[in-house]
Amino acid sequence: MKLLVIRSARLRRALGIAIPFALIPAAVLWFALGPGRGHFALSSMLVALMALVLFSCGFERRKTGARRLILVAVMTALSVAGRFVFSAIPAFKPITAMVVITAIHIGPEAGFLTGALSALISNFYFGQGPWTPFQMLSWGLLGLFAGLLSRPLKRSRLLLSLYGVFAGAAYSLVMDVWTVVWYNGALDPALYAAALAAALPYTAVYAVSNVIFLNLLGRPFGEKLDRVKIKYGV
Amino acid sequence: MISLREANPFAAFLWLMLAAGIAMFCLNPVLLALSLAGSALYLAVRNPLAARRALPLYLALFALSALINPLFAHNGATPLFVLNHNPVTLEALFYGMAMGGMIASSLCWFRSFQEIMTSDKLLYVFGSALPKLTLILSIALRYIPLLRDQAKRVRDAQRALGLFREENLIDRLRGEARVFSVLVTWALENGIITADSMAARGYGTGRRTRYALFRFRGRDAALCMICLALASVAIAAAASGALRCDFYPRFRLNGGGALGAVGYACYALLAFAPGILEWEENLRWRALRSRI
Repeated sequence: MKLLVIRSARLRRALGIAIPFALIPAAVLWFALGPGRGHFALSSMLVALMALVLFSCGFERRKTGARRLILVAVMTALSVAGRFVFSAIPAFKPITAMVVITAIHIGPEAGFLTGALSALISNFYFGQGPWTPFQMLSWGLLGLFAGLLSRPLKRSRLLLSLYGVFAGAAYSLVMDVWTVVWYNGALDPALYAAALAAALPYTAVYAVSNVIFLNLLGRPFGEKLDRVKIKYGV
Repeated sequence: MISLREANPFAAFLWLMLAAGIAMFCLNPVLLALSLAGSALYLAVRNPLAARRALPLYLALFALSALINPLFAHNGATPLFVLNHNPVTLEALFYGMAMGGMIASSLCWFRSFQEIMTSDKLLYVFGSALPKLTLILSIALRYIPLLRDQAKRVRDAQRALGLFREENLIDRLRGEARVFSVLVTWALENGIITADSMAARGYGTGRRTRYALFRFRGRDAALCMICLALASVAIAAAASGALRCDFYPRFRLNGGGALGAVGYACYALLAFAPGILEWEENLRWRALRSRI
């Protein structure tokens, strides 16, 4: 498959710039004003996919050391494996907590990658579908924001718990937008409210388990990550 | 021809995505029926056991979706009856059925997708475009079974030491949290060793080559070409409005003329080919075995 690999570094770089800066506005215009008006499901899918492409292009372009790379891979594996470790207790999943901890201690980019890849990998076990890009994006963004807010989140336990509640709610809000748009072709407010109400027990469990895991794991895992960072100079 | 399972992952990925995507994004009852039938056939041929388990569930989802929409959407010109001062219309019922067909068929396509696109194939498909992300993904995928085994070992040791109590939920949660904590330390140290080992073998010093398990043969190119040709005819027909279907205010399916008929035919081939190819390969395999 050598044909599909873009050999020329210049072309690759040009594509890396062209995709985010030309394609995304073009797609938004096409769906907002052009002939694509009304295709909400298709447009939201494309926007989610392009946001993921945008991020991965930025990541691919930079040089990343082997240690940083491995740390992200290990944290991703841990957040997915956590689902199996805690499988004895139903609906308790440490993925969001692990993503937030990674983001706070390693950085926003690592947080995004850990979130997005955890969603992708856990769907290998629990089923891929058209929702995969949205799960990747929403978990990735939760990680990204946690990384950007790392200073206050590191300092205050209360803020960390609040972020856990916010993450549980935000995840449900974003995923239900997709559910409703996918089902209805447009974002019908009544249907969206119904979907949110139906998801309320799950949202509550997400929020509560996020808070519990962040409080239970936040400090010890942070210390472990910081220790590894100091010991090996990542 | 060759079944999608045996074909190069690029061809299989392209085919499944186009077959699922076209019906998913143009809301046309004929396309949706073709998509549902094609995906059900493929799943039934590929994995009869999974089909027997999954198809009733998808049918239930279809029925649920068909019934939910009329309760929320009250547009449409043909009221059937009035419920809580709100008319329940025939058009809303049709729209709900179309949505249910879309959801059932895409779930069915993705179930088959999971059957044939294993993680190694997906890594191969995305490896050329996103080498670094794919590397992370493959390392993480290798770590998961490793961590699962290590977690079991840690839990056994904790249990043997008498540190792990399971009387109530809180104790169990704390016990699992301790196991997980031990696991994290182990995994981080182990990861750093892996990274050093990678660096010692020259990671990052030059262009990375990769080992590909799959080859792109002539028949894979043929499969890609056929798939793209069929899909572009169907998409062109959909874009020209020949496959247009209005649900509100009155249900009206555009006849579409010659272009519409060609579009339907092309999509039917696209939807049914995976199942037929797989079936043909099964037959051939059985014939080969009986001669031995």
